[in-house]
Amino acid sequence: MSFSILLFFIALKSYKLNIFKGEYVSFKITQMMDLDSIDYLVDVEAPEIAERFHPGQFVMLMTRKEGERIPMSVMKVEDGKLSMFIRKLGKTSKELRDGITSFENVIGPLGHGIEEKEYGTVVVVSDAVCGHAENYAICEALNKIEGNHIISIQTFPSEKEVYPEDYLTKSVSHRHFITTEDGSNGTKGNYVPILQNLVDNGVKIDFVFGGGKLPTMKAVSTLLAKNNIDNLFTTRQMMVDGSGMCGACRVYIDGEMRLACVDGPMFDSRKINWTRAMKRYSMFKKEEKKADDHYEAHKGHKGGCGSCQK
Amino acid sequence: MPKIAPRVPMGEQPALQRIKNFNSVPYGYTEDEAVEEATRCIQCKKPKCEPACPVNIGIKEMNLLIAQRKFKEAYLLVKEDNTFPACSGRVCPQENQCEGDCILVKFDEPIAIGKLEAFIADWGSKHKIEVEQAIADNEDKHVAIVGSGPAGLACASECRKYGYAVTIYETLHKAGGVLQYGIPEFRLPKDIVDEEIQKLEDMGVKIELNHTVGQNIYYYELVSQNDAVFLAMGAGAPKFMGIAGENPLDSVYSSNEFLIRANLMKAYKFPEWDTPIVVGEKVAVIGAGNVAMDSARTALRLGAKEVHIIYRRTKEHAPAREEELHHALEEGIVFHELVNPIRFHGDENGFVDYMELVKMELIEKEDGRLSPEPIEGSNYYMAVDTVIEALGTVPNRLFLDRAPEIKRNKKGVIIVDENHMTSVEGTFAGGDAASGAATVIKALGEGKNAAKSIHAYISSSD
Repeated sequence: MSFSILLFFIALKSYKLNIFKGEYVSFKITQMMDLDSIDYLVDVEAPEIAERFHPGQFVMLMTRKEGERIPMSVMKVEDGKLSMFIRKLGKTSKELRDGITSFENVIGPLGHGIEEKEYGTVVVVSDAVCGHAENYAICEALNKIEGNHIISIQTFPSEKEVYPEDYLTKSVSHRHFITTEDGSNGTKGNYVPILQNLVDNGVKIDFVFGGGKLPTMKAVSTLLAKNNIDNLFTTRQMMVDGSGMCGACRVYIDGEMRLACVDGPMFDSRKINWTRAMKRYSMFKKEEKKADDHYEAHKGHKGGCGSCQK
Repeated sequence: MPKIAPRVPMGEQPALQRIKNFNSVPYGYTEDEAVEEATRCIQCKKPKCEPACPVNIGIKEMNLLIAQRKFKEAYLLVKEDNTFPACSGRVCPQENQCEGDCILVKFDEPIAIGKLEAFIADWGSKHKIEVEQAIADNEDKHVAIVGSGPAGLACASECRKYGYAVTIYETLHKAGGVLQYGIPEFRLPKDIVDEEIQKLEDMGVKIELNHTVGQNIYYYELVSQNDAVFLAMGAGAPKFMGIAGENPLDSVYSSNEFLIRANLMKAYKFPEWDTPIVVGEKVAVIGAGNVAMDSARTALRLGAKEVHIIYRRTKEHAPAREEELHHALEEGIVFHELVNPIRFHGDENGFVDYMELVKMELIEKEDGRLSPEPIEGSNYYMAVDTVIEALGTVPNRLFLDRAPEIKRNKKGVIIVDENHMTSVEGTFAGGDAASGAATVIKALGEGKNAAKSIHAYISSSD
């Protein structure tokens, strides 16, 4: 009798302490692989997002409670897990390197996905700055649909940075090209000459998806406009909330302001005002360095050393 | 008429001290101060303050109870009508509401109703007063609420009292909406917001964070799984001037971005917290509403040497609350009236360098409204390195574009009838989403009223 009363009070207390209230969703990192390239491959458990994800959409990541909300592309969705390429640059990648086992938050999917339908001949392009993840996701989805012929072009800085074969789009496309900026693998330069070549050789291209460096995308938009090819390009923009509130990701489409997070992230490259496309990333360069230095100086963040309170 | 004692002043951090921290500006009344202030209330037979309050708090009785030192009773009384007195006591534009209609305005300063409300709310939470809420048994009926800002929270609280199973869906990783991301710590400490939300959760309201309706959960799912839906996603999308040079220039922020970084992401704690914020030495804030004041005062606290408010009308027309404007000026913020920026010029790195302004004059229009018009040839330049555009907000189209069956007006504001019901039966809307950008208290009031309609709707469809 007294035992059950005790139990009752423990239960009550626990309820008050919120132990039983609401389940805590942790986004467990199930795999973290060094691709021996510019990126890590990170798999994270996020079944709710995986269930609703469409290629072209993105997620926001927070590594910890005090973390930044970082927009991230998704390469693959499988068994309730998202696979992402995370750049070996800055604080987030260092947290990964130093063995964080889960993310505080993964939010999404956000933005519009692509229409998964029969397009005909589709070219998907990407480079080391942006788009390899989208490239894979789009190729994989469209490859499953009959009537699509998929040509994928991927640009890397050099031979050394080319992903291992499993993570290239080779297995999910009909034709696959690699270019490197220094010419150490495949054609030298970016993906534009290859695309130009395809056009010149009379390949009838029905649609182009892509992403990349701003100057490359600007160049490719001219090519696409000249040949009147429908397309959607990811405009990589800085975001804070990713849901249309901050306006940091504003771009100008046909003279009208649009938000990459809500209206995009992909837009017709012919309509993007490239000279007005922002380069606001540079604004926070100094701060990124500071965050990085701070992290190195206070590695661990386990509390106790007190140096972060100075 | 007996002589009325002067209003009891509230202690606050001196301006020179507070611009170096993010702590609350006012210290709040002590018990004795509150009693003294509440005693000033002449207990009108027909109090005008109460109908002027969007949530109709029993102000007269609150004052009486405080004057009699019956703080607990006063707290319970206020909580009956207002779920979030600690917030509204701090951020309401009382001078246009309760205090504006206080009879004492004619003789002296009105009763400091807002400050008393904040006092009693703080007293209640400090003394851990539990509000005993009779929650009816209606758990089999479900209400979904989109957005956890003031309207959503107020509606959730009322719906819960009616006994419904209530779930709030919030896009961000913290609940509270504008109370969390918009209003700065020094005006509304976030501990207070967190505590008020915790109380709501203790009542049994479920809050689903990181859920963007229309994106990772769909409107039709809410409709099919619930007996009623309340849309309270606010007006969260920023407006931009759209003038030349604002893009591609760096260091032009929307006030939303600036405040989200500073408040929600705690950029003022950078680099302990990861989100950065860059503030130059000379900051210009465009606009003169509460959000502009919040941005300007935040910029100052983040280390700006000079902060300028640029407004196209005169100071008297500024939509900001008197107190906010007063605090801003006290902190050394420079107010430029009758000017409007027409162009931003960048330096070679793409940062704002200086802006071109034109002087304005107020011309009386046919309808008697004063409209600011540029004075030709009055252009001049002003060096700035950060610009914050605080031009107001419009409803966020993220959700609405994905639910076209909900009718909206041209500005994107949801159209509702007198019962807060939208064009879709069983879907209600309130707060800024249904009335355009307004105040926290108006949203609280609408949330509360909508809950009544929701209750009537669910009861009648049984």
